[in-house]
Amino acid sequence: MDSAPTTTHANTQLAARVSAATASVRSARAEHLVHRALGYAAMAGIVVIIGLPVLWLLTGAVKTNREIFSPVVQWLPANPTLDNFGRAWQAAPFDRYYINSIITTLAGGLAEVIMAITTAYALVYVRFPKRDWVFALLLVALMVPEEVVIVPNYLTVANWGLVNTYAGIVLPGASIAFGTFLLRQYFRTIPVDLTDAARVDGAGHVRAMLSIVVPIAAPAVATTAMLSFVAKWNEYLWPLIVTTTQEFRTLPIGLRWLLDQEGNTEWGVVMAATLFVVAPVIVVFLYAQRFLVSGIAAGAVKG
Amino acid sequence: MKTSKTISRRNLLKGIALGAGAATLAACAPASQRPAPAEAPQSEAATQPAAAPAAPSGPTEIVYWGFSGGLGNTEDELVKMYNDKNTGVTIKREVQGNYEETAQKLTAQLAAKSDLPQIVLLSDVWWFKFYRSGSLLPLNELVAAQKMDTADFVDSLWIEGVRKGVQHWIPFARSTPLFYYNADMLEAAGLEARGPKTWNEFMEWAPKLVQKEGDTLKVAAFAHPGAASYIAWLFQCVAWQFGGSYSDAEFNIKLLEPDTVRAGQFYQDTVNKMGWAIASQDVQKDFVTGLAATAMLSTGSLAGVLRDATFRVGTAFLPEEKQFGCCTGGAGLAILAGASPDKAAAAMQYIDWATGNEGGAFWSQNTGYMPVRKSTAASESYAKFFEERPQAKTAVEQLPKTKPQDAARVFIPGGDQIIGKGLERIIISKEDVTTVWTDVTAELNREAEPVKRDIAAMGG
Repeated sequence: MDSAPTTTHANTQLAARVSAATASVRSARAEHLVHRALGYAAMAGIVVIIGLPVLWLLTGAVKTNREIFSPVVQWLPANPTLDNFGRAWQAAPFDRYYINSIITTLAGGLAEVIMAITTAYALVYVRFPKRDWVFALLLVALMVPEEVVIVPNYLTVANWGLVNTYAGIVLPGASIAFGTFLLRQYFRTIPVDLTDAARVDGAGHVRAMLSIVVPIAAPAVATTAMLSFVAKWNEYLWPLIVTTTQEFRTLPIGLRWLLDQEGNTEWGVVMAATLFVVAPVIVVFLYAQRFLVSGIAAGAVKG
Repeated sequence: MKTSKTISRRNLLKGIALGAGAATLAACAPASQRPAPAEAPQSEAATQPAAAPAAPSGPTEIVYWGFSGGLGNTEDELVKMYNDKNTGVTIKREVQGNYEETAQKLTAQLAAKSDLPQIVLLSDVWWFKFYRSGSLLPLNELVAAQKMDTADFVDSLWIEGVRKGVQHWIPFARSTPLFYYNADMLEAAGLEARGPKTWNEFMEWAPKLVQKEGDTLKVAAFAHPGAASYIAWLFQCVAWQFGGSYSDAEFNIKLLEPDTVRAGQFYQDTVNKMGWAIASQDVQKDFVTGLAATAMLSTGSLAGVLRDATFRVGTAFLPEEKQFGCCTGGAGLAILAGASPDKAAAAMQYIDWATGNEGGAFWSQNTGYMPVRKSTAASESYAKFFEERPQAKTAVEQLPKTKPQDAARVFIPGGDQIIGKGLERIIISKEDVTTVWTDVTAELNREAEPVKRDIAAMGG
């Protein structure tokens, strides 16, 4: 007989617990929904902030100057025209600029990746005195802004007779500390046993680097290459300084030359030309973004 | 043995890294594009008179650093016209950017003593810096050898490039400020479609032109540029109109004289107290989009304004206050001191043509810059052009009333920006005019000292 009230009490407690648990789940769900909604709102905000200028760029490239300057903002062109693309192509020797950008980006990027791989390998796998000091020195180099070394770099390159040459454009950026830093961090996550085993089997450093380390570190190497190529494709200041002739000018500089001294700039033409510059980067970036994200995250845990 | 083996591997690694870099670079550097050896030191060459100027002895290529943007496209056509004449002189036009970027680039190349052009386009505020450093070739003998009719040049433009009786800078893309107005807007406000004769008259017009929504100004009667858009060039005219100036020819700064202070106070009041003007990021854009009913702009903006405006555009003389005041501006052509006699003669041959009746007329009619020769402005081609584009006639009619600029803006390094930033403090930050002009005067005096020393050392 005593069991009935006990059972009832137990049921009540259970019901209360279930109710509390349900409320808790509901609360957690509501919280989750709120967080998700806030996340989407933030993403939408960022898409608008980043996307509107891009939309303006895309639509501006097919508008006339008068339409761009219309007092009432017209997001979509009333009479789209492709004339701006032809005029942009003719306003500056963009074919030449494309060739120059491709040459300097590939040469500079390749040199930077090779330098980064070999330097990072040496810092991790080759024992030499004051190795950490060398790494610290690299970190210091990472913190020196490019603008600080522009004058000495320019005078050096000019003294070597490399103004208006591809070598003059590529040389100062052929080795950037960031690539070395990124790869060193990644290489340190690779078990030393692997390279030791290779060494035991008779492989030298070059063989160990090319056959063991680089294949394992492929995502990080791809990331370094990607960042390097994008940076070199977009580089403006140094190619501007070290060239005086259009035979060696690159795309970003060509873009700048479309702006007019007296404010008579044809913005539709400028926006069409901007698409020439950014289109290859967007295509490459969309293709390689998965490497980029995993590569940057890699090496972040173990320092 | 072990040591030797380790060292060998290090060397191998070094070799790979260096070899790869060197091979990459070597593959990229075409031997044919090596820069020419450095030219003669500028200061040394500039102190010599131009060596026996003559016509170039054979086919000669001249490198010319000119305009970018739409003006650059017109200049490309100008150069093509000249090259198609097959005179034996070929012009290779290169672009370094706007006036400031071109001057900075020239400074860098002079320091590197390599890859210098023979002809360079220098603005009114930059050519003097290169004259002081001895980088510009004295041109009198070349001008005489080319038989250029110097009396045909507009006097106020020609004399600006003369130091100690020697020409160093020849007028080419020369401009003056004009008063631009939106004729449709003026008529809609019940006003005549013309420029105001005086600032007092404009102050009566301005409230009718302003359009507001609540306290927000939707359409301003007038727009002021910022320092980067050469407000100091435009305000110089206003200072003169009020009876003031920036300085005299001996670098005595006149900003604190009552009339210049009064002009500064007027500019501040147009934005703040009277509230019919705006401080604009881009005056030309605000004018063509109808955000400002009137503006002072360069003659060089005329082609762009007419291309972009969807309303009737009028141009007028600048308004007067105590008196009329309007300065010249723009850019001219100089030949660098390191040019060989052959190249210098070839360069002068092109300059003569580009500023003359054929090249000069094409250039000015297609850009809005003023014809720099009297005979060009009086030519039949120009009479026809004025019929088609009456707005351009205003600049030519106003030209005889213009005068060269104050030394404080054009001869003191950075003078334009020092004064321009002071004007921004007056208009945008609403600072006391006398306080600002006191600061600006001190800065101009400081910057003028080395210029005065140089000029004394050079004898003028």
